[in-house]
Amino acid sequence: MKRFLLAALLTLTALPAVAADIQNIDLGKNAQVWFTEDHTVPIVSFNISMPAGSAYDPAGKAGLASFAGALIDEGAGNLDSKAFHEALANKAIGFSARAERDYLVISVTTLSENAPEAMRLLQLALTRPRFEAEAVARVRTQIIQSQQQSETQPPAVAGKAFMRAFFGGHAYAHPLTGEIGTISAITAGDLKSFAHSHWVTHGIKIAVAGDITRPVLTKLLGDTFKPVSNQAVAGLPDVGRLGAPGVHVVPLAVPQPSVVFGLPGIMRADPDFIPGYVANYVLGGGGFSSRLMDEVREKRGLTYGISTSLASMNKASVLQGSVATRANAVHQTVQVVKDTMAKFAAEGPTQQELDDAKTYLTGSFPLAFASNSGTAAQLGTFQRQNLDIGYVARRNSLIQAVTLADVKRVAKRLFDPARLTVVIGGTPTDGAQPARQAPRPPVRPMPLPAPGKPADKPVAGPVTGPAKAPVTNPVTVPEQALGAAKKP
Amino acid sequence: MQVLVIPDHRAPVVTQMVWFRVGGVDDPPGISGLAHFFEHMMFRGTKANPNDTFSQIIAKNGGETNAFTDHDYTAFYEQIAKDRLPLAMKLEADRLANLDLSDAHVTPERDVVMEERRMRVDNNPQALMSEQMQAALHMSHPYGRPVIGWAEEVRRIDRASAQDFYNHHYAPNNAILVVAGDVTPDEVRKMAQDAYGKVPARELQPRAENAEPPRLAESRMVIKRADARVPVFSRLYRVRSYSTGRPGEAEGLEVYAQQLGGDQTATLYRVLVEQKKLATDAGANYDGNARDAGEFNVYAVPRPGVSLETLEKAVDQVLAASAANVPGADELQRAKTGLVASVTYRRDSQMAMATAYGQALTIGMTVDDVNEWPARIKAVTGDGVRKAARSLSRNYAVTAYLVPEGGK
Repeated sequence: MKRFLLAALLTLTALPAVAADIQNIDLGKNAQVWFTEDHTVPIVSFNISMPAGSAYDPAGKAGLASFAGALIDEGAGNLDSKAFHEALANKAIGFSARAERDYLVISVTTLSENAPEAMRLLQLALTRPRFEAEAVARVRTQIIQSQQQSETQPPAVAGKAFMRAFFGGHAYAHPLTGEIGTISAITAGDLKSFAHSHWVTHGIKIAVAGDITRPVLTKLLGDTFKPVSNQAVAGLPDVGRLGAPGVHVVPLAVPQPSVVFGLPGIMRADPDFIPGYVANYVLGGGGFSSRLMDEVREKRGLTYGISTSLASMNKASVLQGSVATRANAVHQTVQVVKDTMAKFAAEGPTQQELDDAKTYLTGSFPLAFASNSGTAAQLGTFQRQNLDIGYVARRNSLIQAVTLADVKRVAKRLFDPARLTVVIGGTPTDGAQPARQAPRPPVRPMPLPAPGKPADKPVAGPVTGPAKAPVTNPVTVPEQALGAAKKP
Repeated sequence: MQVLVIPDHRAPVVTQMVWFRVGGVDDPPGISGLAHFFEHMMFRGTKANPNDTFSQIIAKNGGETNAFTDHDYTAFYEQIAKDRLPLAMKLEADRLANLDLSDAHVTPERDVVMEERRMRVDNNPQALMSEQMQAALHMSHPYGRPVIGWAEEVRRIDRASAQDFYNHHYAPNNAILVVAGDVTPDEVRKMAQDAYGKVPARELQPRAENAEPPRLAESRMVIKRADARVPVFSRLYRVRSYSTGRPGEAEGLEVYAQQLGGDQTATLYRVLVEQKKLATDAGANYDGNARDAGEFNVYAVPRPGVSLETLEKAVDQVLAASAANVPGADELQRAKTGLVASVTYRRDSQMAMATAYGQALTIGMTVDDVNEWPARIKAVTGDGVRKAARSLSRNYAVTAYLVPEGGK
């Protein structure tokens, strides 16, 4: 098998075929539109991001952005909730919205012949949402039940408490879907007013891929967004100090506690972002190839999956990881994570690890562009990171240019175990070790967000995978969601 | 080895899937979970590519690799640049012939699988409920055993049982190769001959022919859990599948599940959630892609204050109405439109295409069966849907209530 290894040393320079052909469409109205045309499959995918994420939730109304997003297909214009859903289903149009911290991301997938109908419904939803009492009450109960269900789910408990501890008082700290109390307090008036002020073209990002021509798309989008408000949304405040070093425990009687850990990351516009991205791949982003997976899973059998990601939002960046293990091995696992991280911070990667990271990160890039839905999603991700349209063509050469010295320097900057915020959702039984520093704001058990749950309804059309939910190994999708939280 | 090629030239990448006609149903008695555990062991190395070299080589060549196990099959896949397909094939062929199973790998991997079980099942009251329902539904058939295995039996897996499993089930004559992506059939034929042609066929252990005795009564269970916060009603029926059904029967069940509970326009959601306001969610699923029986599931989540008994009665009224009357023309059309469109949407993804065909071939269907499915769905009539509704028998069902402990 030696020759396989030799073959692997060749650099992969293939760029996505679409890289050369991403078009910009000027809609005016402070909107950004990227488009790739492909007529192989008669479908069109839209990925639309508006400055309407959870960070814009007003005080006391946490979850408003996500709640509004969950109602996006619940009636608009002359269509009540039932009529709106039937209009979508009659044409098998996939239509859903999910709140992130900065953006509300709307995904629309349609057979190309139904693209005009899909955009007609989108326009109605954005400009004339009804927020009728029946739909508001129904979806509110769904959100609350989903939060109740998450109260005993360790990954959700730990994830939510981590954001609280890490971001303190900032708008990124509260759960995306709010708390039961704040969701209960939101009125139809709040929803209307939020949609009116935040579902706007100013700062909107639109990525489109598939079976439609440029002139047809230009006219369609122009008509669709013509009546949408162009009023700018007020910016978010800057984040102060990040992190709450130490180990925080949210007790929960479960067989397998979850651990979420993190450190201040590197902003997307920082020149060190790409070296940091490569460093993260080696430590914990690389699925089966990462050091953490090797130490925690392969060698010790402590977990099914462990991963880290470098998530950059508009106002902050966090290097976040997660792992789950049996109750009697939690502190042992946390210690392995810290030791592995400390060693990596001190020594950085080997030349071989850097070379392997580069060939993976560059060679796997085209995989994200193998479908219309994948292409639209990937372009949308880049748009939300405020990258320019040339980035897709440039991206692999940026990774190629990273040197060993770069990664060593950035690894030292990023991976300081003493600054690590660790949140355990569950009750460890392997003997607590004292936190290195007294935990800052005490983390209490609270009702849980199911990230994106109610807003993230399944797309009506696409059917993937065997229906019986087969058991799988962890999968890494590093490129698909560059910067977004990932889990095996 | 059967080979299927699905060309898609949009990007210079390919998806290779190797499907084996072996799965959870082939777990030896007393060692449930062995097929799934063995799938993990396929990533633990050969003499030529020891330890995790397989995953490392795929990764450093810009590829993704993983695998999954179900009752009827096990599948391994790689997604990678097209010029690396021969490499991915050589690696798959190597572990098909030369897997090196050592105790040093078996022990930690068994712990990994136990963690996987805790994550997927033991930590999740709804997953536990579903596992208990499956076990109660299938009285004799191994579909009643969880693919991931009962914890008490997974602990018994050792090197010898894994080696036996490999010897009996892993050979090119038990595999189907599916390649989707930027390739032609001629290219794939040549590459596959080079890589897999060298691996000798093996005498396979014949798959057990499982039968199921008739059920004489409905099974019911009330699962009380402190970790359940929201009650759930669920009923699981043993029904005909694409393999066991008469022509059109599975298609009727497919359209019925979509019309009854496929989305928010479906009957259960409309009646229970919107009209009667008894539930916050309600739906139905049909899984007919199986070598033996299929499964039909109906579920509902009550609004706060509504009892599961009241909710179940309302569900039964909907089911009775479906058995009495044919669906409205627009409802029927909408359900069929959604199912037929799903086939077009599937074409957007190499993985979804390779999975659809690989799964079908592995459970004994043909490429034509898959290709003609949209036409067969279009041909389902209102009467076909009503027949499907009538075919659901409570004697062939398990009804479960998930109840938050101390509450209702």
